[in-house]
Amino acid sequence: MFEQIGDKTITVLHNTGDFWRFSWSGLKQSIHTFFTPRNYDLIWTQMYLIGVLSVPIIMVTGAFVGMILAVQAYDQLAGMNLEEHLGVLVNVSVVKELGPVLAGVMLAGRVGGALTAELGTMRVTEQIDAVRSMGVNAVYYLVAPRFLACLLLTPVLIIFAVLLGVLGGYIIGVGYFGINSSAYWEFSAAGVEMWDLVMGISKGFFFGGIIAIISCYKGFNCGEGAQGVGRACTEAFVASFISILAINFILVVIFNTLYHTFWIPSGLI
Amino acid sequence: MQTESDKNTNTDFEAIIRLENITKQFSNKVVLDNLSLQVEKGKTTVIIGPSGCGKTVLIKMMIVLLRPNQGEVYFDNERIDNLQENRLKDFRTRYGFLFQAGALFDSMTVAENIAFPVLQHRRKVDKDELDEIIKIRLALVGLDGYQNHFPASLSGGQKKRVALARAIALDPEVILYDEPTTGLDPIRSDIINELVLKLRNRATSVVVTHDMKSAYKIADRIIMLHEGRIIADGDADYIRDHPHPNVQQFIHGQASDDDLAVLRMNDQFHHPQYSPRDFQKQ
Repeated sequence: MFEQIGDKTITVLHNTGDFWRFSWSGLKQSIHTFFTPRNYDLIWTQMYLIGVLSVPIIMVTGAFVGMILAVQAYDQLAGMNLEEHLGVLVNVSVVKELGPVLAGVMLAGRVGGALTAELGTMRVTEQIDAVRSMGVNAVYYLVAPRFLACLLLTPVLIIFAVLLGVLGGYIIGVGYFGINSSAYWEFSAAGVEMWDLVMGISKGFFFGGIIAIISCYKGFNCGEGAQGVGRACTEAFVASFISILAINFILVVIFNTLYHTFWIPSGLI
Repeated sequence: MQTESDKNTNTDFEAIIRLENITKQFSNKVVLDNLSLQVEKGKTTVIIGPSGCGKTVLIKMMIVLLRPNQGEVYFDNERIDNLQENRLKDFRTRYGFLFQAGALFDSMTVAENIAFPVLQHRRKVDKDELDEIIKIRLALVGLDGYQNHFPASLSGGQKKRVALARAIALDPEVILYDEPTTGLDPIRSDIINELVLKLRNRATSVVVTHDMKSAYKIADRIIMLHEGRIIADGDADYIRDHPHPNVQQFIHGQASDDDLAVLRMNDQFHHPQYSPRDFQKQ
């Protein structure tokens, strides 16, 4: 039994060390790639695959989040005759938390799954070894463009999710429940600060970065055969999902501390 | 460990690749066991052995795609197994590697696959020059005109030939072939063998195979691996008459008495789904 615990501990430590080494290498190579113009074609390609093709699904996600929040919150606010404050509740939630987090989770599934499957298949068919055998750093060629595309475009995708979330809430609040339009926007504008927008959008850099690194790492280290690739995709999604939640918690604590220390509140409601 | 009696080659030659006391293990399984080997410059060295004996691990170690747990790897008298990935670049461009299944990039055309190593290592190469390089390499493997095909539309033999064209794109000093004829029909296998022979004047070749016909045809020297060790090392005639029972069993493609005993024992336990009559009908 002690032997098993020892083996397990060594494996966990080895994998953790391997992951951080891979992440460090990915970060270094990404900086190098970012400042090498001849690699921009690779980055554009990944930006299209990762960013542009994700826009529709991200917009749909954002719209539904806004609409569902509006439906759920209306009855409770109406019970206190506060239904005109619906915009504040929906928009603060969408801008600060639900928009970024659900967009991140959606990207972990769509983009992360695709990255792991693609790189995993390349590993199984020895294409990654082929890149290395030709004297090309595989992390530089395969990971860096994907990492940069995720890092730079996840905040943009979050803007799309938030925009559609705000519109979705407005359509339900004003169009369906009949709340006065100008009151809806006035309360929303008073409740949502620039700080909330900065906080929501900047989460995208962290979510995008962690999705790319985890997905690429799992692809690079996947097991043999179709089962190995499938398992790697599942592990990548689960790890990305948990990481997004954990990072979100840490960021909320940090942002709140910064807010209370440096930001001058503009007055809520 | 390789003994003097296993060797029938003169080791007084210029070695381009040298492996010294290599041990490689995965989990608890020892794949290569304190193995030493020198590859002669300008010659074709063929490594044979049964599946799982460590041939592919050995050839990947020569280009440091895998690193040994113990021992040292030298290329052109410089130790390379302890170099970091970035510093291996200068050595790896002096190698060409033909992977077992080709390992062509399926998102790229044939031309883009061959252009890949050139574009990665030459800062300035104009389009006409690049087209010429691609055309020459493809003509060498008999596939000029396939520039715009994607790997998915090629047959197994064509994929290997394109992969070979890519492997020689940078005019390497050493070409490593990992089971180049596996999965091909005898005619396609012979085409690959002829290509290996055609390229012997351009580079040193190391071929991993279990195809004895191919080995006899292309080898200057044959090395047989068994359970992670070299059990025979010499030219084709030496291997053909080697007294070691594992060598004779392998080159004649015979199952061992132990394997046959296991198969006969299994005959006693029918799978309930089948009866011997099911097979007699055929």
